[in-house]
Amino acid sequence: MLKAVRLNKFYGSLLVTDNVSLELAKGARHAVIGPNGAGKTTLFNLLTGEVKTDSGRVLIDGRDVSKKSPDQRAQAGLGRSFQKNNLFMELTALENLTTACAVSVELGRVFWRPFDSVSEIKEAAESIAEQVDLLSVLDIPVHHLSYGHQRQLEVGLALATQPKVLMLDEPTSGMSPEETTIMLNLISALPSSLTILIIEHDMDVVFGVTDRITVLDYGSVLVEGTLDEVRSSDIVRQRYLGDASS
Amino acid sequence: MKNLFSLERVTTVVIIIGALTFHQFAGYYGHEILAEIAILAIFAMSLDLLVGYTGMISLGHAAFLGIGSYATGILTVHMGWSVAPSLVISILVAGLVAALVGLFVVRLGGIFFIMITLAISQMFHAYFLKNREYGGDDGMPGIPRIDLESFGLNSFDPADFALFTLFVAVIIYLLLDLVTNSPFGRYLIGIHQNENRMRSLGVPINRYKLAIFIVAGTIAGLAGSLQAQHMGFVSPDAMYWTVSGIVLIMVIVGGTGSLVGAIIGAATVQLMTHEISSLTEHWMIYMGIFFIGVVLFASDGLYGTFARQWRRFREQRTRPETQRMDGDA
Repeated sequence: MLKAVRLNKFYGSLLVTDNVSLELAKGARHAVIGPNGAGKTTLFNLLTGEVKTDSGRVLIDGRDVSKKSPDQRAQAGLGRSFQKNNLFMELTALENLTTACAVSVELGRVFWRPFDSVSEIKEAAESIAEQVDLLSVLDIPVHHLSYGHQRQLEVGLALATQPKVLMLDEPTSGMSPEETTIMLNLISALPSSLTILIIEHDMDVVFGVTDRITVLDYGSVLVEGTLDEVRSSDIVRQRYLGDASS
Repeated sequence: MKNLFSLERVTTVVIIIGALTFHQFAGYYGHEILAEIAILAIFAMSLDLLVGYTGMISLGHAAFLGIGSYATGILTVHMGWSVAPSLVISILVAGLVAALVGLFVVRLGGIFFIMITLAISQMFHAYFLKNREYGGDDGMPGIPRIDLESFGLNSFDPADFALFTLFVAVIIYLLLDLVTNSPFGRYLIGIHQNENRMRSLGVPINRYKLAIFIVAGTIAGLAGSLQAQHMGFVSPDAMYWTVSGIVLIMVIVGGTGSLVGAIIGAATVQLMTHEISSLTEHWMIYMGIFFIGVVLFASDGLYGTFARQWRRFREQRTRPETQRMDGDA
């Protein structure tokens, strides 16, 4: 569903992404982990097109999108959430979701009828709100929402575009343990047909919701494998898991 | 987002009724001012599409006003067309120029957008300033007004012309009210609030920015054509950057992001300019103090502040409900 072939990216003379390849089958739950500065977010941005690759190819559902802009990749089926909340802060939670739903059905050319008259949009937004557990706060402006709710909306916006591949950039970053549990349940409850790529620091999240892991270190793939393979890998213990558990 | 009887729409209806009442009792001077305000309200609404809705702060919007004016002047005076078709062509020309300019400028954001719109509008100003054929810095006199006899109006009667401009302003308001509340309008608001997020949701941002830039330029061209007819004259001053600055001030004073804010801003600034400048030649100082006051104490503009206070008043009257909502948050 999502395939990256030998991605490379230099910032100046610094190689931040070194020959990284990834392949996610339909319905895969794949995590990218690695210490700070390993190039996780850069890899994400290369996949979504926010940063241009120096070489390598990105394919979504068999379509080569290497030359495409972020909005074209989103239209091709890539939905992403951000590590730092990246929402429409002045709008309500519902308006955030209806905006994203309108984008997903490409209503932007419609200028002759009121937004609110498109009833399918509101229904779609409410069903997303249910998925990300926001039904109780829909009419509240986002800047008044709690951080946890904002994080849930962050995932909701990505879901609202009905992506083929959902990319979550540290969905639980900065969350309390309770909020993390809500988020974990929410991700686990997503339809199994949805392909998910997730960047995460929290090992509980990684082991809780994913089945394959790519470990990045200094921009290159250290290990890729199933949970058990990665857990039992000496080099990963030494470089990463050891640090995390201490 | 908005119901049929939103505060904004009710306020607009009140303003329109107020303007019509004023029209009934006003004399020559009042009708002249009313026409000026109606034309500037159209101009300010068009700029608010960029500034308030999409977050594109243009300091060159007067270019399209001036192009609308000059197009009408050239078509009527130089080519002998009658005014009605000239008006239509002027609007289209302004839109076309906005499309060409927009292709270059919508890629830029923030301060760069401000600077490039300023620079391009000054290029148009410089062109007409040096162009002898169209009067250079003396401008172009003798522009006729549209023939309204079939509507039973005499456009050279200030009262009738004021009524006509008011009518056009209402049409433009209705049109833009439709557009800003549509899905297209929601895209613009989304772009204003968070351009990056809109892009990653799958919206080709620049295409929408270009679309609204063309709409704004087209409507500014309409305002320009009306202004040329009203004054019977156009000079390069119409597209000087200070005109862009004043209309930006109107939008800010009234409150960005609402059409009625632009109307209120246009009326307030224009009325104050007239009244204060008739009292003292240092009127600009007082206008400056007023503007600073608005920015400091009513940072979301006159209408924005009014709307905020109104909401607070409404919430206080239905307090138990709000408390429950806060509890949920």
